[in-house]
Amino acid sequence: MKTQIVLAGIGGQGILFASKLFSELGLKLGLDVMGSETHGMSQRGGSVIAHLKLGQFQSPLNRRGTADILYSFEENETYRTLKFLKSGGCCFANLVSGDRFDSHVLDYLKKKEINFRSYDASGTALKIGSILATNIVLIGFSVGTGLIPFQYQDLRVVLEQLGQKKNLAINLKALEIGFQEGKKD
Amino acid sequence: MKKRSSEETRVLLGNVAIARGIVEAGCHVVTSYPGTPSSEIIPAVAEFKKELGLNTYLEWSTNEKVAFDNALAASMAGKRAAVAMKQVGLNVASDSLLSSAYTGVIGGLVIISCDDPGPHSSQTEQDSRFFAILAKVPVFDPSTPQEAKEMVKEAFELSEAFQVPVLLRPTIRVSHAKQKVILFPPKILDRPANFKKNPERWAATPRYRLILHTKLNKTLKKIQEKFEQDTKWNYEVRKGQGTALGVISCSASFAALMDILEELNLREPFNILKIGTPYPFPQKRVSEFIKRHQKVLVIEETDTVIESQIIDKSKVLGRLTGHVPLQGELLPEVIYDILADVLGELGIANLEKSVDARLDKLIEGLELPVRRPTLCAGCPERAAFFAIKRALPRAIYTSDIGCYTLGLNLKAVDTVIDMGAGITLASGFYQAYHQDKKDIPIVATMGDSTFYHSGTASLLNAVYNKAKFILVILDNEITAMTGMQPTPGTGITADGNKGRKIPLEALIKGCGVRWIKTIDPYEVKNLIKLLKEARKYTQKAEGGIAVIIARHPCLIQYPEELEEGRVKVKITDDCNGCNYCLDFFECPALVLNEEKNRVEIDRKYCIDCGVCIHACPKGAIVPVEERPQVR
Repeated sequence: MKTQIVLAGIGGQGILFASKLFSELGLKLGLDVMGSETHGMSQRGGSVIAHLKLGQFQSPLNRRGTADILYSFEENETYRTLKFLKSGGCCFANLVSGDRFDSHVLDYLKKKEINFRSYDASGTALKIGSILATNIVLIGFSVGTGLIPFQYQDLRVVLEQLGQKKNLAINLKALEIGFQEGKKD
Repeated sequence: MKKRSSEETRVLLGNVAIARGIVEAGCHVVTSYPGTPSSEIIPAVAEFKKELGLNTYLEWSTNEKVAFDNALAASMAGKRAAVAMKQVGLNVASDSLLSSAYTGVIGGLVIISCDDPGPHSSQTEQDSRFFAILAKVPVFDPSTPQEAKEMVKEAFELSEAFQVPVLLRPTIRVSHAKQKVILFPPKILDRPANFKKNPERWAATPRYRLILHTKLNKTLKKIQEKFEQDTKWNYEVRKGQGTALGVISCSASFAALMDILEELNLREPFNILKIGTPYPFPQKRVSEFIKRHQKVLVIEETDTVIESQIIDKSKVLGRLTGHVPLQGELLPEVIYDILADVLGELGIANLEKSVDARLDKLIEGLELPVRRPTLCAGCPERAAFFAIKRALPRAIYTSDIGCYTLGLNLKAVDTVIDMGAGITLASGFYQAYHQDKKDIPIVATMGDSTFYHSGTASLLNAVYNKAKFILVILDNEITAMTGMQPTPGTGITADGNKGRKIPLEALIKGCGVRWIKTIDPYEVKNLIKLLKEARKYTQKAEGGIAVIIARHPCLIQYPEELEEGRVKVKITDDCNGCNYCLDFFECPALVLNEEKNRVEIDRKYCIDCGVCIHACPKGAIVPVEERPQVR
């Protein structure tokens, strides 16, 4: 299996943690893992992007138009990183409820047969007690939609293994609620 | 010690893989000065040291040259040593590098210089492999974290076998890539320090230097022979029988190229020669490869190290022929487009360009706000820059490398050249104006870690030559930008032990400065007053350099520091949307509500530091609760 993932947002949204979650998942599934992270100056409030490639790859970066899945935790970063998706790829975008995604861009995505799903993951994360769980809510949501090749149970196990004691309970809850919401979508 | 399976795999960051290579090679001494993209190497060695119960000596040195020399001495005493830095750090250490190439080493000495094509977090896009050529030391150029780890070990073997320092040059896409990596147990080498005196070598005068140079050239010849034969780091990926085009590649570009070829599934794929040891250059191997092809494209990052060393360039396409961009990172889509152009030009294949112009146009039309890097909400450096701009609005602001470079956003930074230039440019500007009998205010800013790195020599020079300016040392008690490394001011060493603290005040006094004041920059009003006093001192006949140490801990590293002093603020109806606070305070927590034409507080970012109270000329930013002592 080969899966190319892009995770995008801004500093502090837990993008590196989300990327770690998927790389540990890759290990668990016996896949090769390759990826890339943002460090340094760009971390100071700038755009943060992580690339992850599961399966046989040599380069850590996703070329434009080749990624299978895009997670974006911030609206403007979604627009900026859509270019990485291939035709037939999936985008899971965190979108504050009430906000609308640009209709011309949506038309374009439709033509490219890109599956675009937006969800107010921040809103849900806030409701369950921490905006920091936005990343896990959105990932749970994506699994719920059945559009990605990963299983809820596997992700849950990996999340438990990563064992961030302080946030584990809330992250598990975030994964589950996101998953349920994704199923409804 | 726990018994480890020899086939353990972990997902490691490239720099952590490099650290693992250092440990597996049995290296005894590791030194470094932090800098993106190299900063994670020493902390990772510290982790492995703890995990494996090793006796490695680790050091965050005060600068890259210092780091280099300390590692070199260990090697001269027979131990294995590694020194890590970012590519511009190698500029600082270059004096040591060039000299030690002549004297050579005893224990293996590996220099890791991480390049930053892009650049993502650097002043230049320089290619460290050129330094290898300049210094005449062998260089390894890895494509992946796994390869970087193995190359580190090979570099130690080579260094020891030929008694030369060896360079490893990972680019940011190796250092900050992560990959499933196979781990091996560390080598344990018993090497008691044993420096054997030999002044003709270790203290060589020019006459002996010529002898050493002759010897070095002979050694390089032998290493070149070895690299010609080598198939582990220099190898051909045979993809087909086609001879119309061959590609020579290296580093992260090679990895991207391989993935692209896999995706493309060309009818007539081309062969690739991967070069992992670009110096001394395996000339015969490369010539033989070129001979077999009608055209050869060189795709390398960052500069023309391979391309320039090819003797007969008549068949070669690359940067020198305009086929590869001269600047910027070779992202996969850039490499794809280079290939598309070359394959089209040679009539081999017709590839669609990777850039989807329609999407780009749609996104451009949205006019998304540019998200520039900015100082964090509550950053004490913002408070200091705001005060500087208020106290001396017409000064020349010389600054330096660190988070505080972002004082640019507050219009309180005019120059950023290199580590130390905050002070040297200030003294240079003073002398240039003073020569014309002009008195202008000059405010230099520099962080604590940068001051320990290269501030003292600059300050000594300024004092000695009677320059007059204000120096504000932004002391946040950590090396923040590169990921929170300790400084001599914190007195914590690389493996978390206690070192000896060196307070800035004593150091600056020792440099001959007679006017030194320390203040918390959160006290904006007092800092403004102090800056004006400092200015007066620089104007006195008997005056000189005035140093203000603006000390307040970095809130990312020391979040507990804020607890006592939280001041929740609100914005009153007096706000008329004049934008002064946005332009001159520039806090991510202050945002303009365009509909209402007034500034609002974004509670997502606000950390209740209360400093912005000083940033509103209308007095519209006020504490929610009136407290007896608002700063």
